Amino acid sequence: MIDPGFALLVFAVVALCAAALLWPGKGLLGRALGAVRMTERVRIEDALKHIFNCEYLALPSTLESLAGGLRMRRSGAGRLVARLCELGLAEARGSAVSLTGPGRSYALRVVRTHRLWERYLADRTGVAQADWHAEAEVREHLMSEADTEALAARLGHPRFDPHGDPIPTARGDVPPRTGVPLAQLRPGAAARIVHLEDEPREIYEELLAEGLSPRMELRVTHVSPVGVRFLAQGRERVLAPIVAAGVTVEPAEDMVVPDTPPRTLADVKLGETGVVDRIAPACQGPAQRRLLDLGVVPGTRVRPVLRGAGGDPTAYEIRGATIALRREQASWVEIAGAATARRGDGEAAASEPGGEVAAPPLRNAGALPE
Amino acid sequence: MIAPVRERPECGAHRRRRLVQLGLNPGRWDYLVALAGNPNTGKSTVFNALTGLRQHTGNWPGKTVTRSEGAFLRGDHRVKVVDLPGTYSLQAGSADEEVARDFLLFGRPDITLVVVDATRLERNLNLALQILEISDRVVVCLNLMDEARRHGIAVDEKRLARELGVPVVATIARSGEGIDRLMQAVHDVATGEVETSPFRLATHLPEVERAVTALLPTIEEELPGLPNARWVALRLLNADERVEKAIRAGDIGEVGGGRVAAADPSPPPGAAAGRESVLAKASGLRWKLSGDFQESLMTGFYRASERIARAAEVRGLRKAGFDLDRALDQALTSRWTGFPVMLLVLTVVFWLTIAGANVPSSMLATLLVDQVHPWLSAAGAALSMPWWLSGFLFDGVYLATAWVVSVMLPPMAIFFPLFTLLEDFGYLPRVAFNLDGLFRRVGAHGKQALTMSMGFGCNAAGVVAARIIDSPRERLLAIVTNNFSLCNGRWPTQILIATIFIGAVAPAHLAGLVSATAVVGVAVLGVVFMLATSWLLSRTLLRGEASAFSLELPPYRPPRVLRTLYTSLIDRTLIVLWRAVVFAMPAGAVIWLISNVAVGDASLAEHFVRWSNPLGVLLGLNGVILLAYLVAIPANEIVIPTILMLTVLTLGIAGAGEGAGVMFELSSPADVGVLLAAGGWTLLTGVCLMLFSLLHNPCSTTLYTIYKETGSVKWTTVSALVPLGVGFVVCFLVAQTWRLVAGV
Repeated sequence: MIDPGFALLVFAVVALCAAALLWPGKGLLGRALGAVRMTERVRIEDALKHIFNCEYLALPSTLESLAGGLRMRRSGAGRLVARLCELGLAEARGSAVSLTGPGRSYALRVVRTHRLWERYLADRTGVAQADWHAEAEVREHLMSEADTEALAARLGHPRFDPHGDPIPTARGDVPPRTGVPLAQLRPGAAARIVHLEDEPREIYEELLAEGLSPRMELRVTHVSPVGVRFLAQGRERVLAPIVAAGVTVEPAEDMVVPDTPPRTLADVKLGETGVVDRIAPACQGPAQRRLLDLGVVPGTRVRPVLRGAGGDPTAYEIRGATIALRREQASWVEIAGAATARRGDGEAAASEPGGEVAAPPLRNAGALPE
Repeated sequence: MIAPVRERPECGAHRRRRLVQLGLNPGRWDYLVALAGNPNTGKSTVFNALTGLRQHTGNWPGKTVTRSEGAFLRGDHRVKVVDLPGTYSLQAGSADEEVARDFLLFGRPDITLVVVDATRLERNLNLALQILEISDRVVVCLNLMDEARRHGIAVDEKRLARELGVPVVATIARSGEGIDRLMQAVHDVATGEVETSPFRLATHLPEVERAVTALLPTIEEELPGLPNARWVALRLLNADERVEKAIRAGDIGEVGGGRVAAADPSPPPGAAAGRESVLAKASGLRWKLSGDFQESLMTGFYRASERIARAAEVRGLRKAGFDLDRALDQALTSRWTGFPVMLLVLTVVFWLTIAGANVPSSMLATLLVDQVHPWLSAAGAALSMPWWLSGFLFDGVYLATAWVVSVMLPPMAIFFPLFTLLEDFGYLPRVAFNLDGLFRRVGAHGKQALTMSMGFGCNAAGVVAARIIDSPRERLLAIVTNNFSLCNGRWPTQILIATIFIGAVAPAHLAGLVSATAVVGVAVLGVVFMLATSWLLSRTLLRGEASAFSLELPPYRPPRVLRTLYTSLIDRTLIVLWRAVVFAMPAGAVIWLISNVAVGDASLAEHFVRWSNPLGVLLGLNGVILLAYLVAIPANEIVIPTILMLTVLTLGIAGAGEGAGVMFELSSPADVGVLLAAGGWTLLTGVCLMLFSLLHNPCSTTLYTIYKETGSVKWTTVSALVPLGVGFVVCFLVAQTWRLVAGV
C-alpha cells in the first residue's frame, strides 16, 4: 500500500497545481484563453467600435486616439487602420479615420451585441455590476448575427443597456445622443441620470460606490473646479471632476428632488401598512417586472405580516395574497409617507367610502431609459 | 359521429398547423377551451371537475408547469379543455408565462376560461383584464366561493359580469358546485348564444396614447380588419417578439379572438413590405416612450381591477371563527417554534418512510426474489432453455428489476403521499420561507429547501420539482446540487453498513442509537455539502448573486387524503418507478454478462476488480465497490446485492451465494458482516462506503431527468462530475488521514 503521508503530499501538490491552472480569471488557463481570444477579428471589431464611439460623441477619431483606446503602439494602430481600409470598413485622411457605410453597420452590430450582453448580464445573471463591461467585451466577439438576434428576442428587445446607452436596433437605428455632462448643470438644477460611463473601470467603480444608477434623480447643490456636489436619494454626494465627467444627465426643470432618503417597504414595521409610491428607478428588468406582476404598483397598500427568522425574508400582504420578498427587493419599493399620501387621479379611491388612502398620481417621466 | 360545427374553411388549415406546432393534436373536438388563472386559484381542481380527470392539484404556486388536456361533452358538442400554467400576468417572461401566453395567442382557443379566486378578487382580476384585452370570448369562473365565505367575503356575481362584460359563474370546484352552470356558460359563449362585450382598459398614459394613436393608422392600413388593433399596437410598442413574428409571417389575424377571417395563408409579396413598415414605425416610436411604460400599464390594470373588485365585493360579513391562517403562520414561521416544528415534521416523514417501508419491502422481496425467481428458473429449465439464456433473462434482467421494485416501491409509496399531503396543506412554502435566509447566503433560492427535501425521497423527483424556482440560475443550482440529498435508494445501504461496521464498535446496548446517528450524520453532511457546493458554484460556474425572489404563501387548505394517495401514487411514484425499472433491466443484463463472460482465466468482472483495486484502496474502498457503483449507475438499490455477489465471485468462496451473476442478499446483517470481513473490509471501508454512497454521481434516472429538464449536455455532465469529484476527494482524504493517524 502507498504510504498515506506520501499520498496526501501528492494530493496537496496536485490540488495546488490545479488551482494555479484553473483559478477563475487569474489562472494560467484563463490567461491562455485571453491570449487566444485576441484574434484579428477582435482587434478589428474593437477598432470599429472605437471609431464609432468617437463619431457618435462627435469627437475626432485619429490614429492617436485609436492607439490610446485600444492600448496599442502607434505603429500597430497604423497597421490596423491600413487593414480596415483594405477591408473597406474605414477611410483614412491624414491621421483622421472615419467609417465607411459597411464599416458603420458592422460597428453598430458589435455595439448592439455588446450592449445586449450588458443588459443580459444585468438582468439575468447577477454578475457583479463592475464586471458587466469586461464580460461583454469578451462575449461580443463570439456571437454570430443570428446569436445576437436570439439574445435580443430573449431579452424582449430592450431599448437601453444598463448604463443608459441606447441599443442600436437590428436595422442599425440609434437615436441621437441626449443629455449634458453633470458638471455643466448650475447649482439648484434638477436632473435625471441618463448615462454612466463604464470605462475606465476605476471611474465606473467610483460611480457605483456612490450608488448611482441610470434614471436616478438628483439636484446639484454646488459646482466648483474641485468637484460637483449634489443631492440624490436624500443624500449629499460629491464627485471629483474626472469622475463627474462620466455622468450624463438630462435636466428636468420642474422635478422635485426630496431632501431625505425615500422610505422603502423594508422600513415598514410589522403590522403597519405602507402605500407604494413607486418602484425605485434602479430596479430594472425581470426584478421590476416581477414586482409589477405581484401587484406592487403605485397606490398598492402593502402590509408586512411575517418576518423570517433572521429578519429576512419578510412576508407581505399584497392585494390579498401573502408574498415573501427579500430585504433587497423590498428596499426597491418606495413608500409614500402616510401624511403625504396625495389624493390624485386614482380611479381606485374615487368611489370608496371609509376614507381609503388614495393612490398617488402616476409619475410621468420624460424620455428616459428603462 | 359528431360533425364539427365551427371550422371555418379558410383558416382551418392554418389553425391546424399552429396547434400542431403547440404540440396539440387537432383532432376530434368542436370547441377548444383554454383554462387560465393565477397560481393557486384551484384551477387544476376546476379542470378535474370539468373533465372528470384526476390531475394532481397541489397547494403550491406553479404546480401546472406543463400543459394538461382533457375533454367533456355538452349536448352534442365535444369540448376540449387545456389547463395552462398558473400565471400572475401575461407580460413577464418566465417559462410558465410564456407557455400560457403562447397558447392564448396562437392556440386560438374558442373560449378562454379564466379561473378567479373569490377571496382575492382584486389580484386575480388583473390577469382576467389582460386576457380580456386579447380576446372577446371569455368566461370567468369565480372559484373558491366557500373559502371566501369563510373569510367573510361575498361577491356579487351579476355585478362582476356586468363590469367585465363576460359571463361570470360562481363555483366551488372541490365539491363540484356550479360546474354544470360553468359548462353551460362555456357552451353558450362558444355557440354564440351569449354575446360578450369585454371590458377594455381605456386610459393609458398620455405619451402611450400618443404613440398608439400614431401607430394605429399604419396598422389599420396594412392589416385591415384586425379585431384588436389597439392591443397589437400596445404589444408592438412593448416589443413583443411573438407579435412581431406573427406580423412578419402574416398570420397576426390568427392572434387573439380571431373573429375575422384570418390573413391569406400565402400573402402576396407586396403585403410583406407593408407589414415591415408597421414594425419599423413601431420601433421608431418606442424610442420616444419613457422607461415607466411597463409600470404605468400594469398600474392601469391593477387600478381597474381594484375598482371592479370593490364594486363587486361585499366585505365585512361575519367571519367564521378567528383567523386560523394567521395563527398557524405565526406558529410555523416564528423564530422559536418554526424550526423545531419543521425538524419534527421532516423527521416524522422520514421515520415513517424508513420504518414503514421495511415490512412491505421484505414481503415484496420474498415474493419477487425468493419465490418468483426460482419458479422462473425452474420454468426455464422445464422448457429446456440453454443455461446462458435463462441466466441472462432470469438471473440478470429479471432479478435486477425485481430488486429495484422491492427496494424502491414501498418507501416511495409512503414518502410521496406524505410529502404531497404537506404540499396540499400549504406547509411546504413555509419551509421555504423559514430556510430562505440560509439559502440566500449561498446564493440560492429558498425554494431549494423543497427540492432538497424532495430529493430525500428521490433525486429525479427533486430535479423535476426545481421547476418551481423561477429564476434560471437558482434553478440550475438546485438541479446540480440535488444529488447531495440522500435518496431513498441509498438509505438501505447506509443503514446496513452503519449497523455492521459502526454499530459494532459501540457497546451493544448503544449500537442501534450509534448507527442511527451515523446515518443521520451522513444525511446532514449531505446538506452541508449541498450548501457548500451551491456557494462554490455561485462563485464559479454559476456566478452571480441571488436574483429576484418572490414566494407566495398560499392559504392553508385541508388536504384530501384519499385523492392525494391516489394522485401522488399515479403522478410521482409510478412514473419514477417505471423509469427506474427501464434502467434497471439493462443493468441486470450487464451484471450477469460481466460475471459470466470469461476472458482467459477469469470473468470480465474479476479482471475489472483486480485492475481497479489499487484505486479503490487509495480511496478507502476496493475494486468490488467501484465495480458495483459502476454497474449500479442505473439504480443504487442494487449496490449491496451486487457487492455481495462480486465478493463471493472474486474470493471464489464455495457454498456462499447463488452463483456467478446472481445477486443475492443475506437475511441478517451479521452474515453480511462475516462475508464482507472475508472480503477484507474494515471499519474504514464501511465509513468510506457510506461517504461514497452519499457523494457519487446521480443514478441514470436522475441524469436522464436532469438532461430533460435542462436540455443541456453540459449541465448534465456537471451534475454528474461535481458530486463524483467531491466523493473521490473526500474518501481519499478520509482514508489517507485515517491510515496516517491509525498507522495502519
